[in-house]
Amino acid sequence: MTRTRTALVAIAAAAALALAGCTGSGGGGTTAAGDTGELKAGVFLDVTSWDPASADIGFDGPYLSAVYDPLVALDKDGKPVPALASSWEWSTDRLTLTAKLRQGVTFEDGQKFDATAAVANLEHLKAGVRSGQAYLNVAGVSAKDADTVEIKLSKRDDALLYQMGLGRSWMASPAAIKSGALASDPVGSGPYKYDKASSTPQSQYVFTKKQDHWDTGTYPFPTVRLFPITDQTASFNAMLSGQLNVQFANAANLPKAKENGWNIASKAASWVGVQFADRTGAQVKALGDQRVRQAISYAFDAAGILKAVANDSGTVTNQVWSVDGAVYDKSMNDKYKTDVAKAKQLLAEAGYPDGFSVKMPMSPIFQAWQPAANQTFGELGIKVEWQDMAMPDYQKNAPTFPMFLAVIALAGNDMATLTDQVTTSQWYNPNPSVDAFPEVKALVEQAEQAEPGPQQTELLKQLNKKLVDLAWFDVWYQADNTYFSVKGITVTPVTGMMFPTLRFIQRG
Amino acid sequence: MLSFIAKRLLSGILLLVVVTSGTYFLAHVAVGDPTPGLLGNSATAAQQAALRTKIGYDQPLLVQFWNWFSSAATGDFGSSWRNFQSVNDQIALRVPVTLSIVVFATLLAAIIGVGVGIACGLRPGGLLDRSLKLASVVLFALPGFWVSLVLVMWFGIELKWFPAVGYVSPEHSFGGWIQSITLPSVSLALGAIVMVAEQLRNGFLQVANQDFVRTLRARGLSGRRVTAHVLRNASPAALTVLALLFVGLLGGAIVVEIVFNLPGIGSLTQSASQIGDIPVLLGLTAVTVVFVVIVNFLLDLVLGWVNPKVRER
Repeated sequence: MTRTRTALVAIAAAAALALAGCTGSGGGGTTAAGDTGELKAGVFLDVTSWDPASADIGFDGPYLSAVYDPLVALDKDGKPVPALASSWEWSTDRLTLTAKLRQGVTFEDGQKFDATAAVANLEHLKAGVRSGQAYLNVAGVSAKDADTVEIKLSKRDDALLYQMGLGRSWMASPAAIKSGALASDPVGSGPYKYDKASSTPQSQYVFTKKQDHWDTGTYPFPTVRLFPITDQTASFNAMLSGQLNVQFANAANLPKAKENGWNIASKAASWVGVQFADRTGAQVKALGDQRVRQAISYAFDAAGILKAVANDSGTVTNQVWSVDGAVYDKSMNDKYKTDVAKAKQLLAEAGYPDGFSVKMPMSPIFQAWQPAANQTFGELGIKVEWQDMAMPDYQKNAPTFPMFLAVIALAGNDMATLTDQVTTSQWYNPNPSVDAFPEVKALVEQAEQAEPGPQQTELLKQLNKKLVDLAWFDVWYQADNTYFSVKGITVTPVTGMMFPTLRFIQRG
Repeated sequence: MLSFIAKRLLSGILLLVVVTSGTYFLAHVAVGDPTPGLLGNSATAAQQAALRTKIGYDQPLLVQFWNWFSSAATGDFGSSWRNFQSVNDQIALRVPVTLSIVVFATLLAAIIGVGVGIACGLRPGGLLDRSLKLASVVLFALPGFWVSLVLVMWFGIELKWFPAVGYVSPEHSFGGWIQSITLPSVSLALGAIVMVAEQLRNGFLQVANQDFVRTLRARGLSGRRVTAHVLRNASPAALTVLALLFVGLLGGAIVVEIVFNLPGIGSLTQSASQIGDIPVLLGLTAVTVVFVVIVNFLLDLVLGWVNPKVRER
């Protein structure tokens, strides 16, 4: 499953945090335990669309989770848990998913939530330009009876439930879907009612709690106010002034947060490094040699970059599976410990003692990492010709370059990581090239066919090791997303969600 | 007078047509195919083609332009390519925010700037006059975002007199609206105040040394009446600066809107530029040109009232 927009907002968020680190406010701390009567959360971006089919996963979660219920939710570890689907079952060939639906749920317009409504929603989501990516392997959806839906797959997809829980199964009123007005007027069955009269779109969104919601205990706040604030300094100022009690934070402000006695929560959100788009050497022959890719991996001072650019908020690693997951192997992190001499030796062995020339794209959003890249490539004799472009052009053109700097959102599910990062063609992974590496291909196929559980995890671990050995990516580190909250409110970050949905913001 | 208004109106409409048409073609050249930016590169070719058809991008550029222009001529700027919401509605949400801070800032600049300018003109070389000179150097040297941050830290965070960020519309709370626009407006106004004061002070001194003022004094007019005559003759330059400032503040509002997280047209311009949302950019361009035309028109009217000779031009 692909999540291009999530990758983009991950880049935007990471770059904003990097830049904000240079301009952090030095404002005196004046708040400690703030007002926790209502939730006042500063979200990095405005809601993209109230239509679940057009919304982004990245930062739309808190907005959409206020007004919609999902068919499937996630727990804090990224495991799918029941929501409007009270239970589900896979067929033995894992090509049919049968879900039982919760009864007694109605949408705000009075329409009943049942199998017909669920089917209408799933078809709408499958047809959606953004949401449709989660349903690529879904062949059809049907209502088995009033409270049961059946999802037929054309190809086994072990990440489907995860993607649905991540933000691809919000259920809206079928009448509202039909009317085409969902983008601006959400009609769901969620725990909160959107108070449009009290809201100022693009500045503040106000939601009031529905006392009769089926899961009312999960949502402790009578009122939720969500403030889209992209500028990190403005967001931190709002937190200091007490206008916010939860914030998508910049790690540069950690000392001030500690001084104020705020709660601090962090979790891995994206990987940062160099993406090799040309692992077969079709464009730049040198990159087809694994010793060259390994040399690049050895050369970068990942810990130094993490400290300088990301305020040490993350984990130095060479892997794309989340550091909190079962596939991640800490013992492999030293494999490419910074060693420029070794890097030069590998380049010489590969036949490039004086380096080689390569073109790479550059966008203002990546400039925080450019000096480190220039220095490192320079040490190896690799002559980089940077081609400047705006961010939309970077996304459009980066796939045409043999390698490029990357900030890519992580998945909180191991099989989703496999498809997102390895097997599926994405703008950030334009040439998966799995077929060109028989050992990789064999492990991918085995993992895709294995029974979910320990056996599948073990195969993914072997694949992870193989990819690290081949220097499939040059991952420098996994960057954390950090959230500040005043005493009395806790935020539980979830890898895959750039900002957690409301069920992960609790009193306590 | 009618011919004066008609001439100004005609030139305003001409300016609007030329600027928006120029922006239309420049934006298309700069953005190119907007669909990858709008949908992401993972969207299939069919999805991109469908979007191109939906937004009319598959038609020849001149046809697209005519469709846009004929619609814009009726006041309908179409739909955003990003979320398909009406451009008019989006701009209508944003304009009050930017206008609130820019108008408030202009009023502050006018009231305080004129007051200080007259006081300095009456006592050149005095304490206030010297302070104005110092303030003009300091305030022009300080970056706007820095001044904004200092105001936020002091009045928003330390004293908590005003909200550090955000905008409250007057329909929700008039008091909240005043509070939310005060710091941003003051940030914008500081430089403008000294500029207006300096302009008026210099104009005032220049006029005060002219022969007709000496004659007025010789005829025994009171100091207040002489000041009124001097002010009337010195004001055109200050009024022109004020009008130019209003237009300049519209541009300067972008930084202030970011620091104070205000949902104005500045931040909308920034986001629309980043993703290549041309209909929104064109709508914003048109609105800005209309503001410029209106302000210049009002300036001409006021200048004509102050100095009847202007009306005859």
